[in-house]
Amino acid sequence: MAKLLSTAAALAILAAGAWAETVAVITPYLSQPGTQAYVEGFEAAAAQKGWDVNVIDTAGDVAAVISRLEDSVTQNVDAIVINVDPAQVNVGLLAARDAGIPVVGMDAGSDPLIAANVTSNGYAMAAETSVYVANRIGGEGNVVMFVFEAFPPVQIRGVIADAVFDNFPDIDVLDRITPDVSDGGIADSRAKMEAILAANPETGSIAAVWAAWDQPALGALQAIEDAGRADEGIVITGIDANPQARDAIAAGGNFEASIAQDFAGIGSTAADVVARLLAGEELRGSVIYVPTKLVTSANAAE
Amino acid sequence: MTHTLRQSGTLLGFAAILVFLTVQLPGTFLTTQNLINITQQLSMLAVVAATMTIVMVMNDFDLSVGSMASLSGIVAAVLFSMGFPVWFGLLAALGVGLIGGLFNGFLVSVLGILPFVATLGTLTVFSGTAFLISDGKTIFGRDIPAGFSGFARAGIDINNVKVPFLTLAALAVIAVCWFVLEQTNFGRRLYAIGGNREAAYLAGIRVKRLRLVAFALTGLGAAGAGLMYAARVASANPTQGSGLMLDAIAAVFLGMTMSRYGEPRVMYTLIGVLMLGVLDNGLTQLRVDSYIREILVGLIVISAVATASFSKQTRRV
Repeated sequence: MAKLLSTAAALAILAAGAWAETVAVITPYLSQPGTQAYVEGFEAAAAQKGWDVNVIDTAGDVAAVISRLEDSVTQNVDAIVINVDPAQVNVGLLAARDAGIPVVGMDAGSDPLIAANVTSNGYAMAAETSVYVANRIGGEGNVVMFVFEAFPPVQIRGVIADAVFDNFPDIDVLDRITPDVSDGGIADSRAKMEAILAANPETGSIAAVWAAWDQPALGALQAIEDAGRADEGIVITGIDANPQARDAIAAGGNFEASIAQDFAGIGSTAADVVARLLAGEELRGSVIYVPTKLVTSANAAE
Repeated sequence: MTHTLRQSGTLLGFAAILVFLTVQLPGTFLTTQNLINITQQLSMLAVVAATMTIVMVMNDFDLSVGSMASLSGIVAAVLFSMGFPVWFGLLAALGVGLIGGLFNGFLVSVLGILPFVATLGTLTVFSGTAFLISDGKTIFGRDIPAGFSGFARAGIDINNVKVPFLTLAALAVIAVCWFVLEQTNFGRRLYAIGGNREAAYLAGIRVKRLRLVAFALTGLGAAGAGLMYAARVASANPTQGSGLMLDAIAAVFLGMTMSRYGEPRVMYTLIGVLMLGVLDNGLTQLRVDSYIREILVGLIVISAVATASFSKQTRRV
């Protein structure tokens, strides 16, 4: 009888395990709008699959991501999804590999310890906005760039924009600015742009602002408008098309274009990848791209 | 009675947390591996908090420890990427910590600037320097020698349990801090300065020099923690240590609620560090929302300090 009961209990545990996979989603960047969107996309897809999802934000602390990876391994979750540079959390990923727990990246960067990284094609996005800028200013003029080298997915955008602007002999990069992002990025970008406007007072001395993401573009827009130079035709582009950027683009001012990453799509695709891994499938490609879309005043309100 | 309550309230709270987590997480919380994990996860914070205790003993504090930790990691990583050997990078990074700490001490004790203002200033100086010499980039991959990052991965086997080097390094720093503060004249003098700076000065204690040395030690500790952090994440980023400062101060405050006269003690600081780390580990395993976790940690710090100061008041009345 006791044996029967324990067998039944074991079966019940197995069944419960089969029906409610636990997946830990670990990121230091949950306060970023993009990260929120793909976590929400992931949660929505996971809810349909009936998974138990635990979202963990370490508030910017990368070593804490390693700690939380180790905790999730201790807790024996079925899969882990991360949104952080895998090279920096290598120790935690090793713990997951040793425990046989698959790890999927959401916009995380590639790494042998990650089954797959689901992301947008950053090279393509940067190419699209930088070419948009080059075409709009007729291939000549001074361009201000806002970049961020510390975060690899944003760093590659700057590399491509450098290459595109470099390929136009009459385009000069006036400055390549890394804003302080601790306050979200808008305020410091605005301050930096104000300084550049002050240093270049002549009309037409700045043709465009190319920003590797939207916050610096919004900061530059504020600076240009407040300096009373909105009618000089300075073209601003961002990347990510967050709601604030869409509003600015729809208003038809200097901020002309951005690229919409399908953040929710990255999240739901990551959930699909997790499902395939849990089903025992071997993935062939280690990077999975989710399509993006150029946003201009024509479609910003969508 | 209130005295005992004040001193043991935090400890009882900690015990309650341990019991709660052990009951709620059978088989995964109170395991050797998990406890070892926790000590490793806490090692960097423990080093910063223990060395922060040295200045807090004198009623001073150092806001720059987080950015010093980032800076030391960056200094070592930049030197590694230039091809310098590991020992050179480590020494240089620790040297930067010592010099930065001495600079803090100079501002506070020689120039007489309030520690809050002086170290707030150096916080941004260190952080800016880290950004400057790293170009704002994260240094990782081949630039970080395996001998350096391997340290954070390895340990010593004791009875078939791998005790991580990071844990051992933290224990060593704690032991040194404890010895210096509790067993030497230097430490006793720091406590005297904390008790009454004027009286300590009149009693012939060289207040300026001691504060200078104390800040230098805190800077050195922050640099050491920064190296441990960089080894653990096998990379260096100009902002990576910034979270350490507030947690370290919180741990010292938690510890102060347990000591007799509300003065900081290294061993109580260690309990404060353990509380913060155990909560992080346990609540993650319980799948508590990370924002709720932050609120809980803040409330626990407040309630511990509130209990302590409330029972102090009732004692006085």
